[in-house]
Amino acid sequence: MDNRIKLVLGAALLLGSGALHADQAADDAQAAADAQAAARHVAVTICAGCHGPQGRSYSPKFPQLAGQKANYLIAQMKNFKSQTRGDPDAIAYMWGMSATLDDELINGLAAYYSAQRPQRGDPGTAADVARGKEIFMAGVAAEGIPPCAACHGADAAGTDEFPRLAGQKAQYLLKQLHSFRNNQRNVAIMHGVAGGLQLGEMISVAAYLQSL
Amino acid sequence: MIRVDIQARFARALFIIACIAAIPAAHAVPSFARQTGMACEACHTVYPELTHFGRLFKANGYTLDNLKPVRGVSATKSELLALTGLPPISVMVQASETWLNKAVPDGSGVGAAQNGTVAFPQQISLFYAGRIAPKVGAFIQMTYGNDTGTFGIDNADLRYADSIVLPQDKALIYGITINNNPTVQDLWNSTPAFGFPYAASNASVGPIAATQIDGTLGQDVAGISAYFLWQESLYGELGAYRSAKQGAANPVTGAAGPLDGTTSNVIKGSAPYFRLAYEHQWGRNSLEVGIYGADFKLYPGGDATTPAVLTGPFNEFRDVAQDFQYQFIADQHIVTVTGTRIKETMTLDAAFAADAAANTRNTLTTTRLTGTYYYKRRLGATLALFSTTGTVDDVLYAPDSSPVGVVTSANGSPDTSGWVAELNYVPWLNTKLSLQYTAFSKFNGGKAGYDGFGRNASDNNSIYALAWFAF
Repeated sequence: MDNRIKLVLGAALLLGSGALHADQAADDAQAAADAQAAARHVAVTICAGCHGPQGRSYSPKFPQLAGQKANYLIAQMKNFKSQTRGDPDAIAYMWGMSATLDDELINGLAAYYSAQRPQRGDPGTAADVARGKEIFMAGVAAEGIPPCAACHGADAAGTDEFPRLAGQKAQYLLKQLHSFRNNQRNVAIMHGVAGGLQLGEMISVAAYLQSL
Repeated sequence: MIRVDIQARFARALFIIACIAAIPAAHAVPSFARQTGMACEACHTVYPELTHFGRLFKANGYTLDNLKPVRGVSATKSELLALTGLPPISVMVQASETWLNKAVPDGSGVGAAQNGTVAFPQQISLFYAGRIAPKVGAFIQMTYGNDTGTFGIDNADLRYADSIVLPQDKALIYGITINNNPTVQDLWNSTPAFGFPYAASNASVGPIAATQIDGTLGQDVAGISAYFLWQESLYGELGAYRSAKQGAANPVTGAAGPLDGTTSNVIKGSAPYFRLAYEHQWGRNSLEVGIYGADFKLYPGGDATTPAVLTGPFNEFRDVAQDFQYQFIADQHIVTVTGTRIKETMTLDAAFAADAAANTRNTLTTTRLTGTYYYKRRLGATLALFSTTGTVDDVLYAPDSSPVGVVTSANGSPDTSGWVAELNYVPWLNTKLSLQYTAFSKFNGGKAGYDGFGRNASDNNSIYALAWFAF
């Protein structure tokens, strides 16, 4: 075959495959946009019923989701779905709500909520907030409690591995600590922490986190 | 003259029957729990009172479904079928006993009737409640009642609902409801159909008058309305009702319709219905304020023996109401306060012409204020005040001509007031044991001897014990 013909054919094939790739990329982008829109629709019209507009809930019964870490949200939704997270509100509400979530929707919801502006916290009593900050930053050495900040970040905004706690309602946090303590939420590290904390210390830490 | 007298008495009797016939039925639906996989507490404080999420579930057309549905899709992936995996069926059973403060006279005219009425069942209902198509849901209740001794249609609400996300992530839910009881489609428990008392005795003595929107027309009409709920807070609805009689047969054709002069209280044309409400949430609290109303023009009609053609003068009942609902919902404590005031303006041209009313214009105003407290959704107490006042009309609310009384008024006044105290024990979320005491300070216009035959308002005070199961 003539070299020129080979060249032209080669170029045509290359262009063709490029166009195919471009089509594929456009399809993928469209699919991703559709998935994100679907997740947004679910978040705004269903989840908001409890978790509030854009994940900023009114009632301390329901956690703030705005600004929560995506990985944490994904893990929790999967725990609800597999019914491995067993605190009373999880059973009553989220086992049902998560039953038909697929990975695409779970990822979409996590992306939606993690991108929202977090709620500003509510102030607590000065003494509680101060004591809570102390425990959060330094732990309670005498009780073997590590600093919360070591995992959740100095600003309590969470990390890729650990959830955001800043601005979360105190009553919600206290209920979670209780669930860790009695293993309704089965998380070894938090079981140890919650088991070691005195009630007064829990109240202080929760008040501090709510105030952020 | 005698004929006119009979007609007048008949028209009055029909009117009064229409006013007192409907007793609010109550509803709890484990079907929804089965469909959503969520416990009762997600949608109810204690059934049948709705939480904020319960209101959203209803506005969304009962379609939220967390079971894997039986699906059908087209080549373009549009949903053709989304049947719930298990039919969302549930059953409700109510058994009760009612004691009156003083027994009513015996029907034979000698002595008194037995006091203490056992109702087993008072009511057994079968519900289909849940999604029936991708955006269509149903709440259909069929009830056997010991009062009718038959099994028939009770409350029904079929809905289409959809939602869109507006800029800034604002939610707009909109839909259409077809239902058979004005306010049964409402989202709050301050309006009549789902208002307190959620269950009431059907063996006590009921007052002579109630407004039309206050349950009087339930299961006797069919309405269609369009509604929206914006950002879970602003609710608007506009619709219309027409008569949809059960068990009526046209005497000419023998078919179920059309309605003619052998049927009573038939809506002229369509009766418009409206609702506007706003709910604000903060912390564990929510507060709703709203208005609702309807304008019913009713031909008195008649029955097979005394027909009255469905043309000419009619009676108009214009109901305009305000309501509010406050809720505080926590794990340990739940407080609910609701109130409504319904003002009915009647223009009774037909009744007046038939000597069934002394006035062409009457008013009737019903006010209710209810406060409920629950501890851990297990122990509850409710105190409710109620009052109905209206124009004196000694023909419409005429004294009884035979010496029985009880349900009549000696002075032609419909004024009735009193209070209800209820204690509830909820051992499981779908089982409620209630003890309800109803006390009248005034009954059919009077306190002592209100019926002209020596019966006092307080004689109608009653104790009602109820066991209510939903499964």
